[in-house]
Amino acid sequence: MATPAPLLQITHLQKRFGKFQALKDIDFSIYPGEVFGFIGPNGAGKSTTIRVLLGILKASGGSATIFGQDVWQHSVAIHQRIAYVPGDVYLWPNLSGGEIIDLFLKMNGERHTAKTDALIEEFGLDPRKKARTYSKGNRQKVALIAAFSTDADFYIFDEPTSGLDPLNEQTFQNHVLALKQQGKSVLLSSHILSEVEKMCDRIGIIREGQIVETGTLAEMRHLTRTTIDVQTVAPLTKLAELPGVHGVTAKHGENHVSLAVDADQLTPVMAYLTQQQLVSLTTTPPTLEDLFMRYYEAPNDARATDGK
Amino acid sequence: MMPEQLLKRTGLLIRVNLKRDWAKLVIWIVALAGLFTAIAAKFDGIYGTQSAIETIVKTLKSPAMVSLFGAFTAKAPYTTAKIFATEMMVFMAIVMVIMNIMIAVAATRAEEDEGLLELVRSHAVGRLAPLMAAFIELTGLNAIVGLLFGAGLQLANMPGANTAGNWLIGAGLAAIGWMFGMLTLLLAQLADSASGTTMLAYAVFGVMYVARMSTDVSDPKTTWWVPFGWIEKLGIYQTNQWQPLLMMGLFGLICLVAAQRLNLRRDLGAGLLPTRQGRTTASPILRGPATLLWRRTRISLLVWVLGNLMLGASYASVFNTIGDLAKSNPMIKQLLGASALAAANRVIVKNFIAILAIVMVIVALIPAVQTMLKLVSDENKGYLHQLYATATSRWQVWASYTGLAMIEAAAVFFAGTFGMYATGAAMMTDPIKWLTYWHVLLAYFPAMLVMIAFASLLVGWAPKLRHLSWLWVFYGFFSLYLGSLIDLPKWAKQLTPLGFVNKVPMKAIDWTTNWWLLAITVLLLLVAAIGYRRRDLAQ
Repeated sequence: MATPAPLLQITHLQKRFGKFQALKDIDFSIYPGEVFGFIGPNGAGKSTTIRVLLGILKASGGSATIFGQDVWQHSVAIHQRIAYVPGDVYLWPNLSGGEIIDLFLKMNGERHTAKTDALIEEFGLDPRKKARTYSKGNRQKVALIAAFSTDADFYIFDEPTSGLDPLNEQTFQNHVLALKQQGKSVLLSSHILSEVEKMCDRIGIIREGQIVETGTLAEMRHLTRTTIDVQTVAPLTKLAELPGVHGVTAKHGENHVSLAVDADQLTPVMAYLTQQQLVSLTTTPPTLEDLFMRYYEAPNDARATDGK
Repeated sequence: MMPEQLLKRTGLLIRVNLKRDWAKLVIWIVALAGLFTAIAAKFDGIYGTQSAIETIVKTLKSPAMVSLFGAFTAKAPYTTAKIFATEMMVFMAIVMVIMNIMIAVAATRAEEDEGLLELVRSHAVGRLAPLMAAFIELTGLNAIVGLLFGAGLQLANMPGANTAGNWLIGAGLAAIGWMFGMLTLLLAQLADSASGTTMLAYAVFGVMYVARMSTDVSDPKTTWWVPFGWIEKLGIYQTNQWQPLLMMGLFGLICLVAAQRLNLRRDLGAGLLPTRQGRTTASPILRGPATLLWRRTRISLLVWVLGNLMLGASYASVFNTIGDLAKSNPMIKQLLGASALAAANRVIVKNFIAILAIVMVIVALIPAVQTMLKLVSDENKGYLHQLYATATSRWQVWASYTGLAMIEAAAVFFAGTFGMYATGAAMMTDPIKWLTYWHVLLAYFPAMLVMIAFASLLVGWAPKLRHLSWLWVFYGFFSLYLGSLIDLPKWAKQLTPLGFVNKVPMKAIDWTTNWWLLAITVLLLLVAAIGYRRRDLAQ
C-alpha cells in the first residue's frame, strides 16, 4: 500500500516556557483524508501543541510542518487552507454572531455562502444576537459554523464540543464525518472518548509533553486487555495462575467470574475456560476509556521513570 | 517570511478595530477638539488687554507655574496667542498621552488577554497584522485630533496667532500623542498583560513628566533630554520650530520598529519580562471577597502609592527655588526684612501646595475609581459568578469594592502629601509644618469620597454609564488645574465637589462644607448599596 505524503508532520517537537518544559518530545503525522484523535489529560500539552501548529507559539526545538511548509515561517499560507476551533471561544462582545462568522470567513479570503446559512440553521444559532449575550455553547457554535463553512484542507478542533448540547454534538460529528468523506484531514483533541472512538482513524495519546502511543484503535486494543465475564460448570481454580490473567473477581452464581486477559494470552486462557465447560461467556473489547486509564492512571514504574 | 505575508489582511483588522472602537474614538475626538477650540475662542476675553497679559506673564514666569506648565520661553511683545501656547501645551500633551496609552493598550494587549487574538491569528492573517492595525488606528486618531486642533485655532483666530503656529500646535500635540502611542506598543511587547502594560506605560510617562518638571525649573536647556519635554520646544508663534516634531517622529518610529521586532519574536500571550510563579496554598488572610480583592489589587496599589509619593517628593524638590523671592529680587530682603520675607516665601509655597493638592487628589482618585468600576468589569467577565455561588452576599461584595476604593484614595493621597512634606522638610531652610499638609488631607478627602460614592452609585444603578465617573474625575482635573488660568466661572468649577473645597492651606478648612460632603457620601452610598442588591447581574 503506497502511503501518501503526510499532510502534517511533527518531529521531535519541543516547547519550553522559561524553565518549564511543556512539550518534551512530540512525534506524529496526519495523512490526507484522516481524522486523528488527540487525547491526554489536562495540562499534558495538547493545546500547546496545537498553538505551535498554528504558529502562535514558537517551538523551542524539533520541527512541525503542515502541507510540507514550516508552521512558523509560512503560517499565513498555511492558515489560508486550515480552519481552527478552540475550546474556549472568545468573541468581540459588541459584534453579532452573524457578523463574526462573516469576518472569520473574510479573514481567510472566503465569503458567506448558502452553506453558511445552512450551518447556522442546522446548529440553531441566532446570528443577530451580540456576542456578549451568547452562552459558551453558542460562542462555540459561532466558531464551528465559521470553520465548517470554510473550504479548508485541514481542520483543527481543540475540545470543540465541551459546551454543546447532545443534539449539536451529533451535528458536529456528522460534519466531521462528511469532511472525512471529502478526503479532508482533521485533528480532533477531545476528552469525550466516545466521540474520538467513533470518528477517529488513528489516535495519539499525549502525557506530560510526550506522545506515549499512536496508532489505530485496533492496534491499541492489541496492546491491552480484553475483559471476560464467564460462567463454567467446573470450578475455575487454576485460572488466576495462568499467565496474562489479571483481576479475577468472583461474581454472583457458581463459578461465575470476571477477569482481564492480555491480548497475546487470549488463546491459552480460552482453551482452559472451554475445558471447564462454558455456561455463558461475554467478552468486551477494551474501550478507549480503558486504554486511556491504563496510560493515565499510570503504572507506578512509568511515573518513576519521569522522576515523579 | 515575506513582508506582505506578515501584514496580510491588516486592512480587514483595521475595519474590525474601528467597528469595535468607534464610539470611544468619537468621544475622545469630539471632547478634545471641542474643549481645545472652546478655550482658544474664549481666550481673547480673558487675556485680551495688555495689562491682563502682563499680569499673567509674571505669574507664568514664577517657578511654581513653570513646574506645572513648562518653562516660559515667549519673548516680548506678549500676545494672547503666546499666553495660550504657554498655558495649554503641557496640559494638552498630558491628555494626548493618556488617550494614546488607553487606546494602544486596548488595541493590543487587552484583546490578547481575552484570547480573541488566538482565534484571529489562526486565520490567514499576518503575524504583524494586529500590531500594524493598532499602529494605523493610533496614527489616524492622532492625525484627526491634530487637524481639528489646528482648524479650531484657525477658527478661534486669537490676537497674535498665525497660521504656521496654529498648525504647529496641532501637529505638535498629534506628534507627542503618537510618540507615546508607539512607545505603548513597544511596552506591550515587554509586559505580559494589559494591566502590566498600562502600569509600565504610566511609569515611563511619570518619570518623563517629573524629569521635564525639574529640568524646566533648574535649566530649561536640559529639557531637550526628555522626550516629553520636546512639546515645549516648538517656539510657537515665535520661531515656530519644526525640528522637535521630527525628533518625536523618529522616536516613535524607533519604538514601532522595536515593537515589531519583539512581536515577531515572542509567543502569543507571553511577554519578554518573565511571569512569576504563585504560591502553593492560600495565605490565611485570603478568605473572603474583601481580602480576595485586596490580593488582586495590592501590587497596583503599591505602585500608585509609591508613584504619588515620588511625584509629591519631586514637586517638593523645587519648593526651595519657588519660595525664594530674594533670588529673583535681591532688593526685597532689605525692603521687607528677614522675617517678613520668610513669611512671604511661605505664602508662595503654600499657594503652590494648594495647586499641587489638586494633582495629588486626581492621582489618588484614579486607582480608587478603577477599583470601584472593577466591580462591574469583574461581573461582566464572570469572576463574580463563582463568588456568588458561595455564601457571600451582594452587600459584602459591594462593600468590599467600595471600601477598598476609599482606602486606596486615602492611601495614595496621603502618600503624595507625605512625599511633599518629607522632601520639603529635608530641603527647605524654613520647612512647612506637617499640620499644614494634614489640613490639605482633611480638606479634600470628603470631596473625594463623594466622587467615589458617585462611581459606586453608577455601579449600583446604571452600570452601563459607569464611565461617566471618569469624565467627572477628568473634568475635576481640568477645571481646577487649568480653571483659574482660563478664568472658568465659579459655577463651572463647582460641577465637581472638589470645586467646593476652600483653597487649603491658603485658607482654613471649611468644616461646614466637609460635613455636607460627608452627609452626601453616606446618602449616595446607601442608595448605591440598595441599587446593587436589587439589580440583575450580567449573565
